[in-house]
Amino acid sequence: MAAIDMDKMQFDQMVGSGRPVLVDFWAPWCGYCRRIGPAYEKIAETYGNEITVAKVDVDKETALAELERIEVLPTLVFYRDGKAVDSIVAPTSKAMIEGFIQRVLADREDT
Amino acid sequence: MKGHVYDMAVIGGGPGGYTAALYAARAGLDVVVLEKLSAGGQMALTHQIDNYPGFEDGIDGFSLGEKIQKQAERFGAKTEYAEVRRLDLTACPKAIESSEGTFYSKTVVLATGADPKELGIAHEKELVGRGVAYCAACDGMFYRGKTVAVVGGGNSAAADALLLSRIAKKVIIVHRRDTLRATKIYHKPLMTAENVGFCWNSVATELLYDSKLTGLRLKDVVTGEETVIQCDGVFISVGRRPVTELVKGQLELDERGYVVAGETTETALPGVYAVGDVRTKLLRQVVTAVADGAMAVHMAEGYLAAGD
Repeated sequence: MAAIDMDKMQFDQMVGSGRPVLVDFWAPWCGYCRRIGPAYEKIAETYGNEITVAKVDVDKETALAELERIEVLPTLVFYRDGKAVDSIVAPTSKAMIEGFIQRVLADREDT
Repeated sequence: MKGHVYDMAVIGGGPGGYTAALYAARAGLDVVVLEKLSAGGQMALTHQIDNYPGFEDGIDGFSLGEKIQKQAERFGAKTEYAEVRRLDLTACPKAIESSEGTFYSKTVVLATGADPKELGIAHEKELVGRGVAYCAACDGMFYRGKTVAVVGGGNSAAADALLLSRIAKKVIIVHRRDTLRATKIYHKPLMTAENVGFCWNSVATELLYDSKLTGLRLKDVVTGEETVIQCDGVFISVGRRPVTELVKGQLELDERGYVVAGETTETALPGVYAVGDVRTKLLRQVVTAVADGAMAVHMAEGYLAAGD
């Protein structure tokens, strides 16, 4: 499953759906964002059954990025039950993104 | 029982690494590239590469990285998005522990490259490509007729400033000491250039920006006084760090941390080769990295033939 390219309406629907959502806030001009792309698609394949893996182009969805207080690109935000529960900025490896996802999923099991 | 044993494992998917994979695959070797994020390495962040032959209009580094990857994969090279955590280079086969499990291989090509040191101030990463740059030879052309700052005072900062002085309207060198650390040969041309200015005893404490960089806030390290300079770009040249944590204690490093290896790319350990920016060499460029990749496979073929 490929990472879903979301607009504001899809974002509202999916984040409010009850299923956990990971969103990569990125921009086409951002070099680090581009580097994450291939690994992020692998993440979407691996974790697609458990969570929705999506991305938001902040150049197209400027208002949404402002609303979500995205100040640094790329920022990956994990949403659960309609709320942002954790985020990571400019991860430097696929393993770091996976570690982040596993940590957030494990937090859920603890509580 | 051990898992699959590759003929060659390449650690790092920059131009040197994937060229090794290309040559290995074409030589009929079973080769895997272990890359933690995406192909391209350092050049993936370079917006335009104009000194790699064959692309008369230039090419961006990310695309070039992907092209070399696809070319290697066309001949059967594999890619794993794996972050390598530990290496055992003396075992037989050599063992590579990673986020995706342990890989075994008869030979290892170390192509981990180098990272420019960052200033470590807020919004630095976000502004890469929007005013923050680490390579004047790569990105300098985008600042023709503009004002740029160069942070640093060593040889590479001085070389960058000199190069930029021929392109930009004004170059401001920001250095934390009161004199350049760079060799004397750079001092006179910089001091006499009409468009080069200096902010001595200064460190950059803040990147000022709207949609892109607009200036820097500087702090005088002697007086503590703060000033703001206006600039369209800042070239950060505070050094480069080879990525060698994995091989510390296993391979010889020079005083600057580079893996000691000559033109053959052979290291002190049999079957272990160092290619590209991670090894000791005079010129660190994409063209010299790809040459290393080819050379490493040439040497590895001999090593594998002798062992079989």
